[in-house]
Amino acid sequence: MRLDELRAQVAPGSLRSSPADLAVYSYDGAFDRARPDAVLIASSVEDVRRAVAWCAANKIPFIARGAGTNLSGGCVPVNGGLVIALARLNRILSLDAAGRVACVEPGVVNLDLQKEAEKVGLFYAPDPASFRVSTLGGNAAENAGGPRCLKYGVTTNHVLAVEAVMPDGTLAKFSLEDDGPELLSLMIGAEGTLGVLVKLWVRLTPLPVDTRTVLAGFSSIDAAVACVSAIIAAGVLPRALEAMDRPTVESVEVGRSLGYPKDPAILLIELDGDSADCAREAVQVERLCAEAGATTVRAATDPAERERLWEGRRGAYAALARLAPNVLVEDGVVPRDKLPDIVRRIQEIAAKHGVKAYLLFHAGDGNIHPNIAYDERDAAETSRVKAAGHDMLQACVELGGSLSGEHGIGLDKRDAMAWLFTPETLRLFHRVKNAVDPAGLANPDKIFPLPGTKPGLPFIRPPAEALSEYAKLLVDKVRAAPAGAAFRVRGASTRWKDATPEDAVELLTTGLGRIADLDKRNFTLTVETGVSLHALRRELESQGVFVRLPQGGGTLGGLLATRPWAGLREDILGMRVLLCNGDVVELGGKVVKNVAGYDLPRLLLGSWGAFGVILEVTMKLHARPVEAPAAGPAPAPPKFSPWALKVRAAFDPEGRLNPGLAAE
Amino acid sequence: MAESLSRLLTDLGERSTYDAASQCSRCGYCEQACPTYVATGDESKSPRGRNQIVRLMLEGKLDDKASALEALSSCLTCGACTTACYAKVPVVDIVLEGRRMLRGKTHWLVKAVCRIMITSPRLFAVLLKTGFLLKRFGVSALGRPALRAAGLPVLAAMDAHTREAPFWNLDDLTKSRETPESPSYRYFGPCGPRYLFPRVGVATLSALDELLGKGAYLNNPCCGLLAHNYGDLSDARELARKNIEHAEKNGTERIIGDCSSCVAFLKSYPQLFLKPEDAEWRARAEAFSKRVRDVIEVYGECADKLPAGAAEGVETTYHDSCRAVNPQSLKTQPRRAAQQAAGGSFCEMAGADACCGGAGAFAFVHEELSEDLLKTKIGRAAAVQAGVVLTSATSCLIQLARGFRKYYPDAKVLHLSEFVDEALRKNNGT
Repeated sequence: MRLDELRAQVAPGSLRSSPADLAVYSYDGAFDRARPDAVLIASSVEDVRRAVAWCAANKIPFIARGAGTNLSGGCVPVNGGLVIALARLNRILSLDAAGRVACVEPGVVNLDLQKEAEKVGLFYAPDPASFRVSTLGGNAAENAGGPRCLKYGVTTNHVLAVEAVMPDGTLAKFSLEDDGPELLSLMIGAEGTLGVLVKLWVRLTPLPVDTRTVLAGFSSIDAAVACVSAIIAAGVLPRALEAMDRPTVESVEVGRSLGYPKDPAILLIELDGDSADCAREAVQVERLCAEAGATTVRAATDPAERERLWEGRRGAYAALARLAPNVLVEDGVVPRDKLPDIVRRIQEIAAKHGVKAYLLFHAGDGNIHPNIAYDERDAAETSRVKAAGHDMLQACVELGGSLSGEHGIGLDKRDAMAWLFTPETLRLFHRVKNAVDPAGLANPDKIFPLPGTKPGLPFIRPPAEALSEYAKLLVDKVRAAPAGAAFRVRGASTRWKDATPEDAVELLTTGLGRIADLDKRNFTLTVETGVSLHALRRELESQGVFVRLPQGGGTLGGLLATRPWAGLREDILGMRVLLCNGDVVELGGKVVKNVAGYDLPRLLLGSWGAFGVILEVTMKLHARPVEAPAAGPAPAPPKFSPWALKVRAAFDPEGRLNPGLAAE
Repeated sequence: MAESLSRLLTDLGERSTYDAASQCSRCGYCEQACPTYVATGDESKSPRGRNQIVRLMLEGKLDDKASALEALSSCLTCGACTTACYAKVPVVDIVLEGRRMLRGKTHWLVKAVCRIMITSPRLFAVLLKTGFLLKRFGVSALGRPALRAAGLPVLAAMDAHTREAPFWNLDDLTKSRETPESPSYRYFGPCGPRYLFPRVGVATLSALDELLGKGAYLNNPCCGLLAHNYGDLSDARELARKNIEHAEKNGTERIIGDCSSCVAFLKSYPQLFLKPEDAEWRARAEAFSKRVRDVIEVYGECADKLPAGAAEGVETTYHDSCRAVNPQSLKTQPRRAAQQAAGGSFCEMAGADACCGGAGAFAFVHEELSEDLLKTKIGRAAAVQAGVVLTSATSCLIQLARGFRKYYPDAKVLHLSEFVDEALRKNNGT
């Protein structure tokens, strides 16, 4: 490696390769270690760009790193190469209080932005447990969540634009304002495998006027989860809805008393908003807790008292960190109503492997963290703990959940991706990676199983409901089309009226009208995309549930594909997509928090049918009407950007779908 | 390789150095507490990084001494990481162990000073007086190039950093002091207040006499921190034993010291005697350290006795000395006293508990990094328009005095003792 060549291009002293330097960039917050060949402590975006360009020219892997608090091994340079440390790029470049936007460098620590935002009455919503140290660039790369995300959403819901150094060494900006497919969504949560984020524009939110905390004890996890469902169904959206089990409370209570009830399950519910709403909702929540059989309900309004109620939750990780040198903080997610099942499964798995799991969960999201304390120097114990963690994730997948709600896949869970995604979907992920990073240099060998490796287990996710007859017809039509034939994807033609060219095969989606699943316990909807928006709205209202969709007509699929409103993305959870090679891929699912794999469902928003045919979409439902604008006039078909065209090639290498659209 | 402790007293109990280092789960929650990491963004200058380096050295997986030493030598030993750490991993002790493993023979100058401290403290006083005269007549400044040429840049830097070098030390100034029959406390005179800032020692004695009743000057040997951090453990132990014996001969009252670095070290004496053959000394060290108090702890306890608002007028803020706020957890106590005496003039500055970059010899060895931290600190004091900044350790007094002279001459630094004593005097109309 000709390091001197790079050394001459970057700030003096910023390129390191001493044994100690390499040793301390060999790890992150997870288990594995691997030393890089060199480390760049970047002091400017230009240095990052030069370094990536040098890596591209010399075929050297590069791994971007923020604070290195990653819990899935995402920062570990498994193939050596250059670690690009971004901690010094830590300036808040601007903070527009009126526009509620901050522009930041990737190394800004989450807490530092919070502090600045608070000065002008705002806050940055994503609050991962590591917020005191983790960086906004890292948060975006991992699509970090946190307790507050039940109400406010995860990182992707708060990033408005990013600038990235792409794997070829060029700079590119991706924004929600861009026409065409949502490349921004692809970059968020990509764990640094598609480029290095070097600048971010993030949304800030007004600080709530009032905050109230309710603590309730339940005789069983089932009862607590039933209470959670009742709260959501009542249309109350707490900013945090946290649960913990008795062993976790006991671990915190070593040497001190929290005054928590001695029940098997504790719920902590935090409400915020204006004072009247807050007070009303607090009363409602207390009543719902009592109705759900809570043995104790305590409410607090003043900050000191609220903090006392939180003490057990906040102290939980700290207490576990004292039990043994290492703590496996596992991260799985299930549909909310499956929480009691997953808790039982986790307890069985822990018993089977002879480990003790302490359970903390973001109950509102169905996101569960079984924590297991161990000593990594004890190889036998470590392998038991790892096996238990794997089995727990497997159980999540079997229950229709996902491998990670907020920690990412990284190195630890890449093989498990084969449990969650079909081979067709995994191949699509690989093609997307290759399209953006053909040389495979950006944080290589992360997120996805290595090609050619055999997963320990095959695909184990519960199979999706069979395609409707009409969807099968479309699939057959695509598969039967002559080689190289063009396709015209068409809904109700309210937005894009051009006639289908004579030589193209028309794929009319209006026959896709099935509501496949309306789940009022989890508040999710899976529906085919040919459904007319008017009909869908009527049906949902008759069921007493609501979706976040703009007013207006046409088909749901047409709305998603043309994306007249960026707010569409907020509630998208999953999609079933027909590709032009006849593959049907399943992306995302019924869980409200999911960071397994690239966020392809959001990428497809605004893709104008040129990436694939969206057969089915899964969205969040709401118990109350949600605000959405009237859909304005249909946007004109966009010109795809060069990066959009590259990504399109991953879906449709020959450009057969809606070919007129995406021409350069 | 210098002798190591190899066993440590951690928050989770007695552990081998290796077990203590392995308690770090690499979560990284310490990183933003570390002034050198925040200043550099460099993992090798972070607590987690240094801890891993020592662990890898112990595991035989890192044998490059130069790069390991670079990382370990840049540690301020402020201990803010341990305060932030859930498992309270004792990073400072681990770093010092790592340095001992990497150090060949102790530098002759450190060794010489330690030996003088042990064998003839009076000679030390005489040498300092010589130093004072050299400084007074400007000779020391002229000698700085020679010192650098002689391989003693640290001495040259020390000379450049210190303005005060009083001729009359605390022992001289307290010669006429009578020892009461049954003293209310025993004053431990650390080297700083004794030789460099005797005004601090005088103020401490005066304030404590007023608050607690007349006490006695312990006339103690040096605490041994210099030997512990930069020299040989055998010298540190010898000084610890001397101090323990000396204290045992002098009553059972509380022992109060007015340099937080020194006091924190006195409190940690038991860790020097963890070997089985030292069991007897360990017990004596434990009894000794139980008697030791930081003077700021006492002011906190006596805050109600201080005249309210007596020192009101100039904006006053508090800078936490690392070895007070971290190993001793003395955060609220000094503020209670400062607030009581300063009344409405007291204000908090941002990052009050971040190291000022003084940190013993750090300021002389890592001048650039130390200067960065100093500038941040002075900036934060200036942001609240402080006229007086209070603190409790000798290193901070030297470093902040230099910083204010250079960057913000509107403010001055005082030991909390000086502030409290002045408030008491004002109240008494003297």
